[in-house]
Amino acid sequence: MLTKIAGGEIIDPVNGRSGKGDLWIRDEQIVEPPAGGKADRTFDASGCVVMAGAIDIHSHIGGGNVNTARLLLPKQHAAHLPRPAQTPLSNAGWSTFETGCLYAKMGFTTVVEPAMNPGAALHTHLELADIPIIDKATLAILGNDDFLLSLIRDGASEQAIDDYVAWTVGTTRALGVKVINAGAAAAFKENVRAFSLDDVVPSYGVSSRNIVKTLQASVGRLGVPHPLHVHCNNLGAAGAADTAAATIAAAEGLPLHLAHLQFYGYGTEGKRKFSSEAARLAELVNASPEVTIDVGQVMFGQTVTVSSDVMRQFSARATAHPKKWVIWDGDGNGGGIVPYRYREDFYGTLQWAIGLELFLLITDPWRVFFTTDHPNGAPFTAYPKLFELLMRRDARNAMAEGLSKSAMALSTLASIDREYTFDEIAIMTRAAPAKLLGLKDRGHLGAGALADVAVYRRGPDIAQMLGSAAFVFKNGDLVVRDGAVTHYRWGRALRLNPAPDRAMVRRLDDFYQDRYGLSLDWFSFPDSAIARENPFAEVA
Amino acid sequence: MAVAWIGNREASLQRAAEEAAKLLQSSRCPVFSFDTDVHGTRAAIALAERVGAAYDHIDGAVLARETALFTDRGGMVVAPGETRRRADVVVIVGELPEAHRRFLLELAVTEPDQPAAGQRSFFSVGKQTPPLDGKRAATQLTCGEAGLAATLAALRALCAGRQVSTPVANFDIFAQAIAEARFPVFLFSGHAADALALEMLQGLIGDLNATGRASGLHLTASESGWGSALASTWMTGFPPRTGFSRGFPEHDPWRYDVARMIAAGEADCHLWISGSAERPPPKPRKDMLLVALAKTSGPVAGAAVTIRIGETGVDHDGVGYLARIGTLTALAARSPTDLPSAAAILRAIAEKVPAEAVPPC
Ligand SMILES: [Zn+2]
Repeated sequence: MLTKIAGGEIIDPVNGRSGKGDLWIRDEQIVEPPAGGKADRTFDASGCVVMAGAIDIHSHIGGGNVNTARLLLPKQHAAHLPRPAQTPLSNAGWSTFETGCLYAKMGFTTVVEPAMNPGAALHTHLELADIPIIDKATLAILGNDDFLLSLIRDGASEQAIDDYVAWTVGTTRALGVKVINAGAAAAFKENVRAFSLDDVVPSYGVSSRNIVKTLQASVGRLGVPHPLHVHCNNLGAAGAADTAAATIAAAEGLPLHLAHLQFYGYGTEGKRKFSSEAARLAELVNASPEVTIDVGQVMFGQTVTVSSDVMRQFSARATAHPKKWVIWDGDGNGGGIVPYRYREDFYGTLQWAIGLELFLLITDPWRVFFTTDHPNGAPFTAYPKLFELLMRRDARNAMAEGLSKSAMALSTLASIDREYTFDEIAIMTRAAPAKLLGLKDRGHLGAGALADVAVYRRGPDIAQMLGSAAFVFKNGDLVVRDGAVTHYRWGRALRLNPAPDRAMVRRLDDFYQDRYGLSLDWFSFPDSAIARENPFAEVA
Repeated sequence: MAVAWIGNREASLQRAAEEAAKLLQSSRCPVFSFDTDVHGTRAAIALAERVGAAYDHIDGAVLARETALFTDRGGMVVAPGETRRRADVVVIVGELPEAHRRFLLELAVTEPDQPAAGQRSFFSVGKQTPPLDGKRAATQLTCGEAGLAATLAALRALCAGRQVSTPVANFDIFAQAIAEARFPVFLFSGHAADALALEMLQGLIGDLNATGRASGLHLTASESGWGSALASTWMTGFPPRTGFSRGFPEHDPWRYDVARMIAAGEADCHLWISGSAERPPPKPRKDMLLVALAKTSGPVAGAAVTIRIGETGVDHDGVGYLARIGTLTALAARSPTDLPSAAAILRAIAEKVPAEAVPPC
């Protein structure tokens, strides 16, 4: 089928397109305008902005910890809407079905779940497979697991490390690797309560830095396109900016991605010993071309923090609102669920301002990524409002009016004039994520790209415009019209598939038998276990 | 071989599915109870949404205690693998379900190896002392005639240095062991522990973590139930005992207790789903229709429709929760047969209920 999206303002920084024109789709792909071609269907995009489908590189949309958070907070996602005829279960609050629909209506077509527990990969993929419309991908967590820490302690060869990392990525169907407060979850099991980059995991004699550097190098050698995704130590702590700065320095010229940098943008100045170090961190990022970051913007209101940083979540349990939480010591990372309300007080205001400072002071839109660390800084449904804050200085200033003056006084935000352009938005939320994840088939509108296309009707209200797309196409299929999902289709989980090293598989099987009394078979699964057609797509 | 019956008469699968769909659709208050794998659960919930039914697990009574711990309170839990490797003190909280006997024996014949080679000691709370292997015995912590919750409350009070009216037998030994322990783990289940006992236990674990480490190992009273609870939670936001009577999912552990709804005469059509031959469907009430998906060779007595299904992990592959690994796992058929899965039949029924969209599961 040949589809024409006619007369829209096409914004495609990768292919240098910016201006009025037509976009042609044949079946699942974008194509050159066919000579004398006659469209089977035409969509009028006049007055609209046309971009590639957006890609979210860090959003906790599925897996054991997310599901525990759902279970812990039944009152906060109670549904009230009647049964949707076209999209069953999409009215169920915080269900996988609702997640897919809410992303799609904003024009997002690919979302990365960044914290998959390798031992529970099947659970994660089953949840992702019940998220309609969008494509998904996962990052496998390593760096608190006994096997890796033992390899490092015992001075294992690079080859052994690589075989283990490759096996983990392959068997769990991941697209990359994440390390979360490296070593801290292991240390927490031995009752350590604070852990920094040069602290050493008891019983292993391995420092957090050593774990990060080992994984960064391995991911590079294996040719995993996405650089090691690092959740630094000391998240949320006053003075965490020093840890983030030290981690940026530790990149040492090799690619490294720092997740939700906002949560580390804190200094110790001022009466409350809590201040913004965003300008300093932004400068460091600007000066380190090998480093990418996502922001983890805070927006006000009730949310729940869901993290595999079990040590941090344990220490945050007293802040729980409402007063209940779950702390889980897993094999490897585990996790913690702590509901939280961001208030428009001193601390909330400063966190909000620090996130925006990072967005606005990091100059290269190819290296700063648009996230709220859903749901940790805010649910992803806050994205439309966040776009507005980035694109409209007046909107920022108007919002700041109602916030804590003493916090604003410690931030440079009020002095920043920058407004994101549509071109920069298209880079930050489309082109750059595709490049960072190694997904050549998306993030742009050139011929041969997957026809993931978002069409937004221009209007004075940015949040309205970007929150409710006029049309969204997934693989060329019209899935959203006037902000409403028209029907389900089932996306795939994008994965790498490195061949497992047989000797490593034997070694791991022995290890599991010996230490856990279990066969490795319990943790492996065939694709058919997902019970959907083609649940995975291999990224070459 | 017959696969389906309408009343006592043999029918094609197609006809039986049509009849089941018609009965569910025309019912005023349909209820589902199931004992099935993750995919059976997914298909059941998709059908429940379509016909406005309430659903519960067949083990709903014990499962609800465990889900309530999470929905109402939260707490601290640990993976079974970490328990085997780190637990130097194991505390068995009340009687554990038979299904976990093997793991308990495994803990009895192994020693912790993290952070360093050590030894395990065992305690049990309450009157029931489970048999370990010959070499080991659990030190019993009892509190007069008090039940599990009251015994745990007394234990917590004593650990916090408070006075109690009735002493806990062997508390001194326990206090000494906890003081020296690096990672005590409390094994619990909704089988013996009610909501209050689970709450007390989590209070104790929380207290111990103020200065040291400790956690609880959830050994679910129903592995099939916990697997269904996980799938139900991601699909609707809620564990079982959820209903769609108003067109959106509502969770109410009392109102949507399906056994209660049937006993009270609220339900007029009961869909029973179990591939286990050991779980025969109940005899239906006179004023209620029964649709049975069961591993049976003939029509279920009193059922308006019977459809024969297989058992996950025996007749067909599937996905289930395994407490021994603390997560979902792929279950391969041990002796594959042609018997259809509950998921396949439920989907076939859903497809016969007129709707604008295809079933999502
Ligand atoms: Zn995150």
